[in-house]
Amino acid sequence: MDDKVAIVGVNYAQGDDLGLTRERLCFNAVRGLLDQLGIDRHAIDSFILASNDFLEGRTISNVFEDGPVGAYLKDETKVEMDGINAVVYGALRILEGNYDTALIIAHGLCGHQVSPYLQVQYSLDPTYDRQLGLLNELSGAALQAKAYLRRHGLDEGWLDRAAAWELSCGASNDKVTRKLEGVDEAKVSSSAYLYEPLRELHCYPPTDGVCAIVMASAGRARELTDRPVWIRGFGSSIDSYYFAGRDLAVSPSAGEAARRAYAMAGVDDPASRIDLAEVSGLFAYQAPLLAAAMGLAGEEEAPHRFASGEMGKDAPLSLNPSGGALSAHPVCATGAVRVAEAFRQLRGEAGAVQAGEPKLALAHGQDGLCLQQNTVVILGI
Amino acid sequence: MRNVAIVGVGYCPVFVSKRNDVSIPEMISEAIHNAYLNCGLTPEDVDAFTFGNMHTFEGVNMPHLWSIDHLTALGKPVMRIATGGTTGMSAFHCAYYHVASGLYDVVMTITFEKHSEGDAQVGLAGIITPEIMTMLSLGIDLTGGSGMGGLGGGSAGGISFQATSYLHHSGAGIEHIDAEAALERRNAAKNPYAHLKDPECTAEKIAQTPIVSYPIRYGHICPTTDGATVCILASEEKAARIADKAAWIHAVANCTTDATTGNLIEGLITDPAEQMSCQLAAKKAYERAGIEDPRKEIDLVEIYNGFAHQTLMFLEKLGMCEVGEAHKMLERGETEIDGRLPVNASGGVVSTNSIGTSALNRVTECALQIMGKAEGGHQVPKKVRKALAHGWGGLMQYNTVTILGEAPLKR
Amino acid sequence: MEELKETYFTPVVPLDFGYNYRLGAYLERYLDGLKERKILGVKCGGCGDVLVPPRMYCGKCRRKLEEWVEVGDRGELVDFTVGHVSMSKGKLSPADPYAIGLVKLDGASCPLLARIKGVEAASLRPGMRLRASWNEAAESDYLVLDHFGPE
Repeated sequence: MDDKVAIVGVNYAQGDDLGLTRERLCFNAVRGLLDQLGIDRHAIDSFILASNDFLEGRTISNVFEDGPVGAYLKDETKVEMDGINAVVYGALRILEGNYDTALIIAHGLCGHQVSPYLQVQYSLDPTYDRQLGLLNELSGAALQAKAYLRRHGLDEGWLDRAAAWELSCGASNDKVTRKLEGVDEAKVSSSAYLYEPLRELHCYPPTDGVCAIVMASAGRARELTDRPVWIRGFGSSIDSYYFAGRDLAVSPSAGEAARRAYAMAGVDDPASRIDLAEVSGLFAYQAPLLAAAMGLAGEEEAPHRFASGEMGKDAPLSLNPSGGALSAHPVCATGAVRVAEAFRQLRGEAGAVQAGEPKLALAHGQDGLCLQQNTVVILGI
Repeated sequence: MRNVAIVGVGYCPVFVSKRNDVSIPEMISEAIHNAYLNCGLTPEDVDAFTFGNMHTFEGVNMPHLWSIDHLTALGKPVMRIATGGTTGMSAFHCAYYHVASGLYDVVMTITFEKHSEGDAQVGLAGIITPEIMTMLSLGIDLTGGSGMGGLGGGSAGGISFQATSYLHHSGAGIEHIDAEAALERRNAAKNPYAHLKDPECTAEKIAQTPIVSYPIRYGHICPTTDGATVCILASEEKAARIADKAAWIHAVANCTTDATTGNLIEGLITDPAEQMSCQLAAKKAYERAGIEDPRKEIDLVEIYNGFAHQTLMFLEKLGMCEVGEAHKMLERGETEIDGRLPVNASGGVVSTNSIGTSALNRVTECALQIMGKAEGGHQVPKKVRKALAHGWGGLMQYNTVTILGEAPLKR
Repeated sequence: MEELKETYFTPVVPLDFGYNYRLGAYLERYLDGLKERKILGVKCGGCGDVLVPPRMYCGKCRRKLEEWVEVGDRGELVDFTVGHVSMSKGKLSPADPYAIGLVKLDGASCPLLARIKGVEAASLRPGMRLRASWNEAAESDYLVLDHFGPE
């Protein structure tokens, strides 16, 4: 897609316990971003929230958030999925023609307020899976991890190395306030088993987080910033709910989502065209699995290249230099944070985790069990 | 900006209190199947899907994940929208933006609710608990005045403030609310997809039902219904090949105001009958649709009315008549199916309320009226050139408006 | 903007809602079958897949499923995991290690998730043959098919 829709600013925060009510958290994120851009809430034509009623413990959870995000007497709606989908919706609204700007605000307080595992737990079939009581986000991921390890002849040591690598990236990221210093392979392999082969540190941490993103049409974007980041393409896809019938070592819907995004972005050879990818891998095996699914690395080589650090910030294609979702997973905001990380990378504003001078980046978000639903956004500068 | 049309509508076969014969995904699949049948499309034709419902009522998070194999949507983009009572129309608007963006040609909106499987306390506890938390965090004394008084009635309490204010400003009386409820229950009897049907309903019959919280009677209140509604949208180019009769989207608009429970502070922050967000959404919609005088140009209205007084109240807030006129129009028979301006020929939400579908049904009913396809005797005899669909929800704060026409808007 | 002192009331609010789900005809028939020690599936007229537990639609083919078949009570272990925790209401608590696995029953196209008992965790291997073990006295209809054990 040509220069039609851009991201002009982001403001996000993540941590174990951000110590704020969600209203205050969202207000801070939006206020900070509007101040950064030198505009007020009246400059925003459309507000798109991303959060989850179950995790907030209240139905129509956006009713008390509209005020704090500035949506009073404005056009407002809520996407109840990973926040990356709110970014896609924002682009659709701007492309329609009636809106010049959109504010995306995604957040979750699973760090301290409620268990993040409930996101998947409540989504499971209440007439079967929940009654059987065997399936949950972790046991499902463990079966997928097993399938992935077997497919590629990997052992548990590989899982430890992959996790240690990704967490070491997160340790350098000022946007991840989780204490990650000193997390190495030994620390990972001595963390407790949850469902074999997955240990605690192979799995994402419960995280609080908020991510505000302002998007704009071409003309307006150039007024708001001299370095707009353009949405080049996006795509989304979904696999069968019945995970036992799927080949768990791969993610067809992640591949399909990426294919659609590449088609819209005119990207023929992603492995050479994409400079940076931020994918929402919730467990240590997922980042390389997703990278291969999206054509960013070969299936056989992806796990080795990733865990050895060959896809780090100095590589021609950097994968999750931010530390990814393994370092911080604010449920509902994670995919939006991947977009925000890609945004600051493209603008050279990523500080200690800056991965060279990327021109074209991929951001990914997921929902469901074992990578059931995936959304990909391609951004360029 | 391209024109977008509604080319197909699908309802599940019946909207009733309890669909004991089907699970949630199975019930939704019925409406999808009917939508394809009604417009001759197949799943291969659909590019993307939007999905909406109020999931706390079933206790299933993001139910599109579980039901996906029953939705003919494997492999495709699916976007879930959840905004309370307005969900059906918000999900529809999302589909509209998909097509209007130019990136998708045919998009399906799927909505449902299966209240019979839900805990009756969900609605109250799901909202009242956070209300209490907000009041506490604002330092409001829960034990005094309208704090507890409003809470005691729950949403009925807040609604009765709204109805009282509406009656005060309009000069209408409780007997008008009775008459409106009766009219819609009679209309529902002519709609095979309505829930509470009463062909003999009268204002007197409604007046005999007990008062819940003055001036709200039991007979003024919507039921809870199991049901699913599906709507298929298409770009102008595709629509021409699919449907000989389509309903064209002229405008969509949305506005939100502050969460008004009617109990939030001693007295009220905002008069829940003011519905400023409705007034603003309507204005925006008329502007976008190029409508200068809605009272002359709109032929039919479908209003989201969980409570019967809201038909009259919103008719005024939408600018379709002056304040104080709606109940007089009712008295004169102008809002009947064969009247000058039919309002809720479908029976409205007060006759059928599976919440996820309720705001979408206002759109689909307008579409069917334009297409001449409303069944069971509720097709209005006059020609419907333009129709207005209204959705409402949240803590009395969300308003969505859709304007449909028989031909594409000249841009 | 000056830093506002954030002190706020933090109540713990347990919200407990009860739901009554309709299973639909397919799952009801499956559970009835379990009572007779029968494991039922449905066969797709399009792709030929036999799906267990049965459901109304084959998602791939978008076809309604009408043909019922009984699959074997024996099958092959596709893969497994050993759980060291159990999860209740989203909270984890330590558990004595237990095995759950995906078992592809003879005649079925996709595996069933079930508990594995009677085999040492260290001896579990994909490809090994397992057999259904029944408990008609189970409180829940779902647990009448109790676990899979050595053939």
